Amino acid sequence: MYNMEITLALLKPHIVRNTYAVHQLKAQMESNFNILAAKDLRVTKELSECFYVEHKDKFFYYRLTSFMQSGFCSAFILQSESCIQKWRQLMGPTKVFKAVYTDPNCIRALYGLSDTRNACHGSDSTVSALREIGIIFPEFDISSVNNQSKVINKCVHIKKA
Amino acid sequence: MLSFKILRSSNWASVHLSRQYTTKAKRVVLSQDQSKIKNYEPKTTDAHANRVYVWGFQETGALGLQTNVKKAKERYTEMVHHPTRLQFSNNNEITDVTAGYGFTAYAVKRSDGLTLFGSGLNTDSQLGYQVKGNKKDPANLDVIIYPTAIQLPRLQGETDEDMQVKSMSAGRAHLVVLTQNGTVFTMGNNSYGQCGRSIIEEEKYSGSALINRIAQRDICGADDELVAVECGQDHTMLLSKLGRVYTCGWGADGQTGQGNYYSAGQITLIGGDIEKERIVRIACASDCVLALNEKGDVFGWGNSEYGQLDDAPDAVTQICTPRALTLTKGLGKVKDVAAGGSFCMALNDQGLVYTWGYGILGFGPFVEQTSKPQHLLPPLFGRNDFSNATTVVSIGCGVFHMGAVNSDGDLFMWGKNRFGHLGLGHKKDQFFPFKAAINGKVLKVAYGVDHTIALCKPHI
Repeated sequence: MYNMEITLALLKPHIVRNTYAVHQLKAQMESNFNILAAKDLRVTKELSECFYVEHKDKFFYYRLTSFMQSGFCSAFILQSESCIQKWRQLMGPTKVFKAVYTDPNCIRALYGLSDTRNACHGSDSTVSALREIGIIFPEFDISSVNNQSKVINKCVHIKKA
Repeated sequence: MLSFKILRSSNWASVHLSRQYTTKAKRVVLSQDQSKIKNYEPKTTDAHANRVYVWGFQETGALGLQTNVKKAKERYTEMVHHPTRLQFSNNNEITDVTAGYGFTAYAVKRSDGLTLFGSGLNTDSQLGYQVKGNKKDPANLDVIIYPTAIQLPRLQGETDEDMQVKSMSAGRAHLVVLTQNGTVFTMGNNSYGQCGRSIIEEEKYSGSALINRIAQRDICGADDELVAVECGQDHTMLLSKLGRVYTCGWGADGQTGQGNYYSAGQITLIGGDIEKERIVRIACASDCVLALNEKGDVFGWGNSEYGQLDDAPDAVTQICTPRALTLTKGLGKVKDVAAGGSFCMALNDQGLVYTWGYGILGFGPFVEQTSKPQHLLPPLFGRNDFSNATTVVSIGCGVFHMGAVNSDGDLFMWGKNRFGHLGLGHKKDQFFPFKAAINGKVLKVAYGVDHTIALCKPHI
């Protein structure tokens, strides 16, 4: 009956500085998902190199990593049915300049500033969700979330690292 | 009624009386003492030369229209679609305005010597150190809803006149102010070095009282002076009288033009194709930069992912050295330029507005991409048979929208209508230039990411 998935959602530095946007996005997450864990963290050079390893040869790699290092990010582990797809739907297309026309009500169109400053991140598959959660939340025990046996409704806040 | 009138008309005396009454009344008016006729003098609500209109997204406090959090909750509106007069400008002589991401700064002339005010997001202290409460228990203010003074730190002997703002510009989360005596003040986020000082890892910008002071002789030497500042979202550019350009900040797209893609906290003179040119104007709203020399040639650097700077099949998308643009070769002498997030604009000496790049370029009901600059027709900007001399005098743009001001002082806006920041009274995107209803002649427009500020002169 349950097909619960988990995904990693990351609010990027420029959004974390916009108090109104943070407020709106948190409300959106709370109404759509179970938040299993949340924390604010600084994505250091090492962390972002690890996180974005698949983009290593892209032209925007340095731009992306230097942007991620520019301030605190807010990270969340979200859980719901087909969570990965749902969160990506809410975020909208990666490229903000196109998203504002093709999908004007998505998070990126509302709060993104450019194709790099695109407001948020979401894992693209179950495999990368597990990998990314392992990087951002090393202390989180994934085996505690057994997607068949139990559904965690409670919101667990892990203290700021 | 009719029968009564006929009956009465048989009475000659009464008819005569009423006629006499009419002529007499006429005569009385004609012989009235002219000096007693009151001369109508229009009342102006304030004596200030300029007034400010604001519109767009107001949750960040950037519009500075609210004076009271409680009242704001009662009359809750997330956005302001119509240009609305700023109360603060009725009480203060505002000389310049600039808009960043969710915040606004005002240059002000006042008798008490304060020269800089700001409202909006202050999470990176881009509006200076703003606290409330007592000294023992100060609460840092993340959002400022009404323009509040920003104290510029003075050296001994610096006068109010020295501290008047010559030029200023705001980025995503930083503010750069150039004062009359040639001092550059920077405040806010410096994670890329956009404040012109070395980058400190893990620096905390919230609640920071740090305002960086840089003397212009340390930037451009003693025999030159700075005349203007222009900020992208995360970088800063300074223009000198001799036409040189100095930059610092985020260079990951090449937007600092320093020949590399690194972040730079050191303000550096840039070269490339502009090395021997006298640059008179720089424009940048995001990561793509346009510059103009005194001859009217256009130069550019930074982000070109939407073919804004170069349309060659092997073109690079991140240009880190300033280059003369070939795209704009056929436009004649260019008078003004503007660069948004994914598009560019140019105004030539014929008064024609050219746009190119990706987005709503103003040509009709489509989002389009082209690297060929095309001009919008003058009638769109108020030219008609009755005012055939009307022409566009300045252009500008935000990250997602464009604007132009004509010689009558009318502002025309088009593009993405993010949070109603086109000021057209609705939330729909605008596909061709449309006049914003502002009760004044527009002098300068500050295009923010989701709000707009217009500095105007009264019509009378």
